[in-house]
Amino acid sequence: MSPELMLTKATLAAYLGAVTLSFVYLAYKDEKWNRWMLNLLGVGIALHLAAFGFRIHSFWQIPENRYFLPINTFFGALSYLALAVCGAFFVIESRHRLGILGAFVLPWASLSLGIAVCAASPEISGLAPALQSYWINIHPMVLMTSYAAFGNAFGVGVALLVQEHQIKSRKPIALCYRLPSIEELDNLNYRIIVMAFPILTIGIIMGGVWAENAWGRFWGWDPKETWALITALVYAGYLHMRYMMGLRGKKAVYVSMLGFACVVFTFAGVNFLSELHGYLSKG
Amino acid sequence: MKLFRSIRFNIILGALIALLSAVGTFLPQTSTSPDKVEFYRLLHPLGFKILNFFGAFNLYQTWWFMGLLGLMAFDIIICKLWNKPPDISATALPPENTNEEEIEKHWSQREEALRLKPFQSSMDSSLAFDEAFTKARAFFERAGYAVHDEFHSPAGAAFLATKHRLQRWGSYIAHIALVVILIGAFINALYGFVEMAPVMEGTTVAMKRRPWTLSVDKFTVHFYHGTFQPSLFSSVLRVKAGDKLIGAKTIRVNHPLDIHGVRFYQASWGAAGMFRSVTLNLAGSFLTLRQRVPKKVPGSPFSVEADVLMPDFTVANGHADTASLDLKNPAVRFLFSIEGKPTPPLWLFALYPKVCLKENPDGTLLHAEAPPFSLVSVDPVLFSGIQVAYDPGYPWVVTGVLLWVLGLVLLFYFHRRRFWALLEPGQNGKTKISIGAWSSRGGRDFEKEFNRLTGEMKSHLDFK
Repeated sequence: MSPELMLTKATLAAYLGAVTLSFVYLAYKDEKWNRWMLNLLGVGIALHLAAFGFRIHSFWQIPENRYFLPINTFFGALSYLALAVCGAFFVIESRHRLGILGAFVLPWASLSLGIAVCAASPEISGLAPALQSYWINIHPMVLMTSYAAFGNAFGVGVALLVQEHQIKSRKPIALCYRLPSIEELDNLNYRIIVMAFPILTIGIIMGGVWAENAWGRFWGWDPKETWALITALVYAGYLHMRYMMGLRGKKAVYVSMLGFACVVFTFAGVNFLSELHGYLSKG
Repeated sequence: MKLFRSIRFNIILGALIALLSAVGTFLPQTSTSPDKVEFYRLLHPLGFKILNFFGAFNLYQTWWFMGLLGLMAFDIIICKLWNKPPDISATALPPENTNEEEIEKHWSQREEALRLKPFQSSMDSSLAFDEAFTKARAFFERAGYAVHDEFHSPAGAAFLATKHRLQRWGSYIAHIALVVILIGAFINALYGFVEMAPVMEGTTVAMKRRPWTLSVDKFTVHFYHGTFQPSLFSSVLRVKAGDKLIGAKTIRVNHPLDIHGVRFYQASWGAAGMFRSVTLNLAGSFLTLRQRVPKKVPGSPFSVEADVLMPDFTVANGHADTASLDLKNPAVRFLFSIEGKPTPPLWLFALYPKVCLKENPDGTLLHAEAPPFSLVSVDPVLFSGIQVAYDPGYPWVVTGVLLWVLGLVLLFYFHRRRFWALLEPGQNGKTKISIGAWSSRGGRDFEKEFNRLTGEMKSHLDFK
């Protein structure tokens, strides 16, 4: 087993451990579990960065790949996505100190890395000529960073739905008192989307500039481009509904979740439709 | 007009465009995969007829889809002109824009207005009125606020302190940007063009949309070791208008040639069936053949001729065919004859030396015993796929993009704040200060900042 794969598996174990601790914290709300969760997550992120470093080293053994980042394969993209979800979680957690967010966000990072380890090939290949551009270090990274933030918003949305269900139920369990208020979760969901939406659209535009340079057209209605646009339209709809029409709470969360469903489809599902952008095709 | 002013209508229109765009991704599109459209037509003739009637196989270029995008652009303009975002800051302390007598008369309304602000605080400063006013003003300026709308009257004084006022323009700039991008797309649709020009190495072709000729003097393709996956492909390209050379460059992917806005891209490459030479391994000795030039095998009654190359060999309806023009599975047809008497043609494969197919007179193929010779290498004549594109809307798109980024950054990453301060002389030489505030962000986010600022202000103004 390569050092990269070994470190990636160790990272997955650390992430899964952090997920477990985040659920323990949710159950007992003892701060020590939250501290342990954050420490373990920190270890996981460090291991992940080391694994990514090894991957870059192997990737650069092919001269054509030099100075480009290894996210041209499904494995590389999923691995970076998991890292970005954890990174975004750290930023949000350090600003808002909600504690409970880990239980709703970290499972998605673990799932992403789990799929990479179990279902995607970690093999390294040479970049296709179209991908040998500095844009590969910017355009997909920017987009996946926004996806990671949307993943966090999705986690907050799930927490809001759980809380709403608890409040409306006749016998709310202890969890109801551990989760933040609906207003706080709704506001956080909005704040994350507000931060991520410009990143998403800027990432899409960067892709257009790259396509203009590589293929001679800014926009070609390729399925990946189209679904990225659909995702942006859904989130733009969410922002308008919230800002201009006062949509709040459960309904707003449903719209944001529709946006996240589009994110997932754009990232993974479209691979079966797009010849230009597919991780599963030659790319 | 009422309909177009409605944000609800705009959202429904956006959702409709999103839905139709999604439909287009599940159906093959003529612009990107004409072969798949043809396949669909053969597979579902009735479905094809119905969908084709609505232009579903060229969805993004249909008049009605373009019309929806145009309607969206129109709607955005109307919406932005009519609907201002809810902005509590627009409600200034009354009376505004009136003369001083009116202001004197309505001074009490200022206090009333202050109570309507989302955040309020009041404090009694031990400082004298003039000093308190100067210090309060200086306090906000030090905190990065711009102080304006300063007003003095015998009853007291008031001022407005703001931060990141430009944020308000973010929404307008972002929406104008969308319209500019759409204008760019329409200009491209009307006046732009894309033309594919496959050019064989060493040949010249004429362009359809310009009176120019393209010559590829040399085409180079490099592969990753042991594969037919290209690592680089480039063309030495010359462009002429009549006899005059107007541009020359070695183009490769991501590095096009630009002549007066017309750009020449290295888009693809392929092998069309021609080759310079092939090499056969005949029991240890090598024999190099040129295309369709028979050669006698030394020391044998055989003569052999390399006939045609299939770059991506496949079997279709029992016959030899090529799945693509990529060199994924190159195979060459060889014609053998013994003392001038032809034998059935054989297909040999560069990647699979032990595989051999025999071709019947009707063209159908049969597996044959592995022959005592194999295909070692092929030197194909390649064509360079040059894509020529002219997009006069691109400068509009770039302008729109820059405006969009500016608009979104202002709108979402800047945080507009407004503080209204009302100072009135109190008893015993003290000063009563009332503060009202508003923020473009949610109340909860601003609460901490408001409490911090008013707290600091209290300590700043209470003590000399």
